[in-house]
Amino acid sequence: MMTKRRVTLTVNGEHVEPLVEANALLVNVLREELQLTGTKYCCGTGQCGGCTVLVNGEPILSCLTLAVAVDGADILTIEGVAKPDGSLDPIQEAFLDHGAVQCGFCTPGMILMAKDLLAHDPSPSEERIREHLRGNLCRCTGYHRIVKAIGSCGQ
Amino acid sequence: MNDDRFDVIGRVTRRQDGHAMVTGRQLYSSDISLPNMLQARVLRSPYPHARIAAIDTSEAERLGAVCITPEDVPRVKYNERQVSVPAKTYRDRTVLPDKVRHVGQGVVAVAARTEALADRALDALDVEFESLPAVFDPHEAMRDGAPQLHDAVLLGETVLPIERNIACYREAVEGDVARGLEEADLVVENEFTTGRAYHGQLESKAVVCRPEADGGITVWATAQSIHNTRQLLGSLFDIPLSKINVQRVPIGGSFGSSIQMNSSVAVCVALALKAQKSVKLVLTREEDMYDHCKYPSNIHLTYGVKRDGTLTAGYLKTVVDIGGHNIQAYPLLGCMAGWFVSLYRLPHLKFEGTAVYTNKAPACAMQGYGNPQVTFAVESMMDTIAEELDIDPIDVRLKNYVGLGETFWGQGPTVRSVIRSCGVEEMLLKGKAMVGWEGRGSSTSKTGRFRRGIGVGRGFHTSGTGAPTPGEVIDYSTAMVKINEDGSVDCLTALMCHGGGTLDAGAKMVAEELGVPLDRVGISPSNTRSTGYDVCTHATRGVYCGGASLLRAAQDVKKILFDFASRIIDVNPDALKVRPDTSRGQGVVCLPGAPAKRITVAEVAKTAQIKGWGSIIAVVSHRQVNCPPCFVVNFVEVEVDTATGQIRPMRAVAAVDAGTVINPDLAAGQLEGGLCRGIGLALLEDTTYKPDTGELTCGGYLTDYKVYTAQDMPSLEDLSTFFADTYEPSGPFGAKGVGEAANNATAGAVANAIYNAVGIRLTEAPITPERVLSALTRDAEQLQQGR
Ligand code: FES
Ligand code: FES
Repeated sequence: MMTKRRVTLTVNGEHVEPLVEANALLVNVLREELQLTGTKYCCGTGQCGGCTVLVNGEPILSCLTLAVAVDGADILTIEGVAKPDGSLDPIQEAFLDHGAVQCGFCTPGMILMAKDLLAHDPSPSEERIREHLRGNLCRCTGYHRIVKAIGSCGQ
Repeated sequence: MNDDRFDVIGRVTRRQDGHAMVTGRQLYSSDISLPNMLQARVLRSPYPHARIAAIDTSEAERLGAVCITPEDVPRVKYNERQVSVPAKTYRDRTVLPDKVRHVGQGVVAVAARTEALADRALDALDVEFESLPAVFDPHEAMRDGAPQLHDAVLLGETVLPIERNIACYREAVEGDVARGLEEADLVVENEFTTGRAYHGQLESKAVVCRPEADGGITVWATAQSIHNTRQLLGSLFDIPLSKINVQRVPIGGSFGSSIQMNSSVAVCVALALKAQKSVKLVLTREEDMYDHCKYPSNIHLTYGVKRDGTLTAGYLKTVVDIGGHNIQAYPLLGCMAGWFVSLYRLPHLKFEGTAVYTNKAPACAMQGYGNPQVTFAVESMMDTIAEELDIDPIDVRLKNYVGLGETFWGQGPTVRSVIRSCGVEEMLLKGKAMVGWEGRGSSTSKTGRFRRGIGVGRGFHTSGTGAPTPGEVIDYSTAMVKINEDGSVDCLTALMCHGGGTLDAGAKMVAEELGVPLDRVGISPSNTRSTGYDVCTHATRGVYCGGASLLRAAQDVKKILFDFASRIIDVNPDALKVRPDTSRGQGVVCLPGAPAKRITVAEVAKTAQIKGWGSIIAVVSHRQVNCPPCFVVNFVEVEVDTATGQIRPMRAVAAVDAGTVINPDLAAGQLEGGLCRGIGLALLEDTTYKPDTGELTCGGYLTDYKVYTAQDMPSLEDLSTFFADTYEPSGPFGAKGVGEAANNATAGAVANAIYNAVGIRLTEAPITPERVLSALTRDAEQLQQGR
C-alpha cells in the first residue's frame, strides 16, 4: 500500500490539507478529495486543456501535475473565479453575454486561461487570444464566441 | 435580431444553464459521486478479432474486486440504439461478448473501492484470446473467404444469417435511371470518400449506477435518450421499468456519440447489480475512441444533365464500413438515399447502399447521419457540372434544388412531406454578395505558391423524423407544463440539451405562450420516472419536435388558466389574453381594452389552489407529422500552399434557414461550431487503423487524431453567419432545427474552394496535405505530357 502524505494548499482562498498518495494527480485531488468537480477531466494526457487550473497565478494542466508537486501553492479553480458573494467575474459575464458556452465542458479551462491572459495582457489582440487558447480544445463552438467574449473583456 | 411578433422568441437572452457552466457547478455524469461507490475498469481486447478461450478472475477477486465476465451477464442480443421500430432493429451484440470484433472491445469488467485498486485488479485478470484473421477493408470483407465477423444476427425476432459480412443493403429507385442518363447531354461520374471521424466530445462517456433497495436501479449516464436507456436496461436485466430511473444529466458534448445506450452503461449496471453497491465507470479518452466513430463513406455518384444545367438522372451507390457492430446502418442507408434525392430534383434516380462489417470500432451517428458524406459528393458534383457546362455553380444549384411546394423525403423513402418554407435562394444570393463571389476568379488565373479559392456548398437536414404515418423510426416527445402558485412555471420533459440551447428554446416557447417573463419559466430536472416518453434528442428534432410538445402543453395550460381566471374576473375565457408585466415580474391575464379586468397569473393560480379548483397543469405527448428541411448554405475561402499541400480556411459565410430563430446567439453558435467540424471532416479528421494490429493509428491521443484549435479558424472578422427570413407553418412559432444542418454543406464547400484555388478536384476526405501534394504532382505531370 502506498503511504499518504499531507499537502498544504490554498484552494480558492481556502486553506486545505488533503492527505494524498505520492502519485495522486492534482485533478483527482481537486475533484475527488476536495469535491471541486468544476475542473474537468477530458483526456488525462495533457492534450485538451480541460483540466486547467491556476497554480500561483500560472495555468497548469492538473491531469499532468502531481498533487505533492504543488505543496504549499495557491490554486484557483473555476469555483473560485466568481466573487465570494456569488457575483460573476467579468470574463464569466462575457462568456454568458456572447453565447460562448455550449455544452460547457471546456468552459472552466477556457475561463481560467482567459483570466491568465488578461492578467498579463489587459487588452489582448485577437491573434494573441487565439494563440493563448491553442492548447484548449472546444468541440462545440468553433471557438468564435469564446475569442469574442475574451476580446470584449479587454480594456 | 428582435422580432416584433414575439416577446422573448428571437431575442438574445442568457442561457438558463449558463451560470452553472461558467461557475463550475454544472454536474455531468462523471461528476456524480455517491457514498460507498466503487470505481470500474474494463479489460479490453488487444486483438481485432478473437475468440475468448479462457478467463480467470480469481486473482482480481482476491484483491477485493468484483468482476463480471461474459458468463455473468445476460446473453440477450441487443442493439445499443432503440430509435427504430423493433421489426427494423438489427441486434448483434451482448453486454460482454464471447468473441471480440475490434480492438478495444470490453471483455471483462472489474469494480473496486478505488481507481488504483481497480487498475490493479485489471492487471491481475488473466484472459486467453484465440486470435482470428481480421478484415479492415469493407470491399475485402465482402469477398468470398474473407474472415466472417457474424454468422447470424437478429432482425426483430427473426434470425438473419450474415453473408460476406453484409450487415444490410438498401435500394431506392424512381423512374428509370438508364433512360434518364440517355436523355442527358452530359454524364458526369466520380467516386468520393469520407473518413471515420471521431466525435471528440470533450466529456468522455461516463456512467454511474446505484442499485436500489427495491431491486431497481438509478442510473446517471451520458445519454441522448434517457427513456431508451431505461427500456433497454429493463429488457436486458429483466427489471420492471417502474424500478429503473435514468436521470437526465447534462452532457459534455455529444454530436451523436450517445444516441445509443453506450456499451459501458450495461457493463456498469451489471457490475452494480453484482456488487450491490454503486459503481462508476468513466471511459478514458482512448477507450472512448474505440467506442464509436462517424460512418465513413465510399460513394460512386453519376449524374445526367441537360445542356442548360437541368438534371435528368442521378445514381448514387455507396459502401459503408460500419465496423464490428451494426448500430443503425439500416436507417442510415435510408437517410443517405433521402439526403441524395432531396438535395436536387431527379426525374430518374437510383440509390444502392451496402453496409459492411469490418474489425474496427463500430460506427454510429455523428452530426448529420450520412448527410455530410452524401452532400460532400453531391456538392462537389454540382461544381463539376457547372464547370463542364460553363454555368455559374450557384445557378446550377438554383436551377435544380428541391424547394418550396416540392415533395421531399430527407429521412428516407418512408418519410415523405411537402416543403412549406424555404430560404435557399435568399441564402445563396445574399451569401454570394457577402463573400464577393464575382471576384473569386477562375483557378487558371491563379499562380504562385499560395493560392486562394472560394467555394460554395449547400445542404439541409430534416427537423426530426416526424411524418403523417408511422414509419421505421419512432418520433414523439412528451412534456408537462405547470403554473406554480406564485405565477412561475415548471417545464418537465425528457428532452436533452447537447449545448445548442434546446431546453432554453423550450423555456422561451412556454414563456411566449403563457405571457410569463422568461426568468420565471424553469426547466425541471427530469428522469424516466417523472417524464413521459421522448424518443431521443437527435435528428435535429429538439426545437421542432421537443419544443412543439412543450408548446402544446403550454397551450393546454393556458386554457385552464383562462378558465380559472374567467371565474374570478367574470369574463368569457375566449376573450382573455395573457401578457408579461415585467415591472411586476408576472404574467397578467387581461381583457384588452378593459383595465379593470386584469389579474396576475399568480393570483389565478393561488386562488385556484385555495378554492380547491386544482393545479394548472397539462401533460402532452406530441408527434410532429412533418420533418421540414432546415437548409444551409456555406461559402468558404481557403488558401492552398502548393509547396506543402497545407490548406487553411481563411474566410467563411454560413447561413441557415431555421424558420423562426428562437435563440439567435445560440443558433449562430451552432453554425460556427458546425462549420469548424465540417472543415475538420473535409481536411483533417479520420480514425485510421494499423493494418497489422487493428489498433488506432492515433493511439487514442487527441493530438495525434488532430482537431482544430482556436488558431486554425478564420478570424472574427472573416467568419459571418446569417439567418434566412422564413416561417415554417408546421413548426412551433414557425421554427425548424439547426443542429446537424450546420455541418452538412461544409465539406463540399471546402472541396469546391480548393478546386477554385488550384483547379484540382479532390474527392478523398480528409483532404490531407499528402493527398493535395500527390494530386498537384499528378496534375503537373499530366500538364507536361500535354494531358
Ligand atoms: S484533461 Fe488535462 S489536458 Fe486534457
Ligand atoms: S462548449 Fe462544449 S466543448 Fe466547448
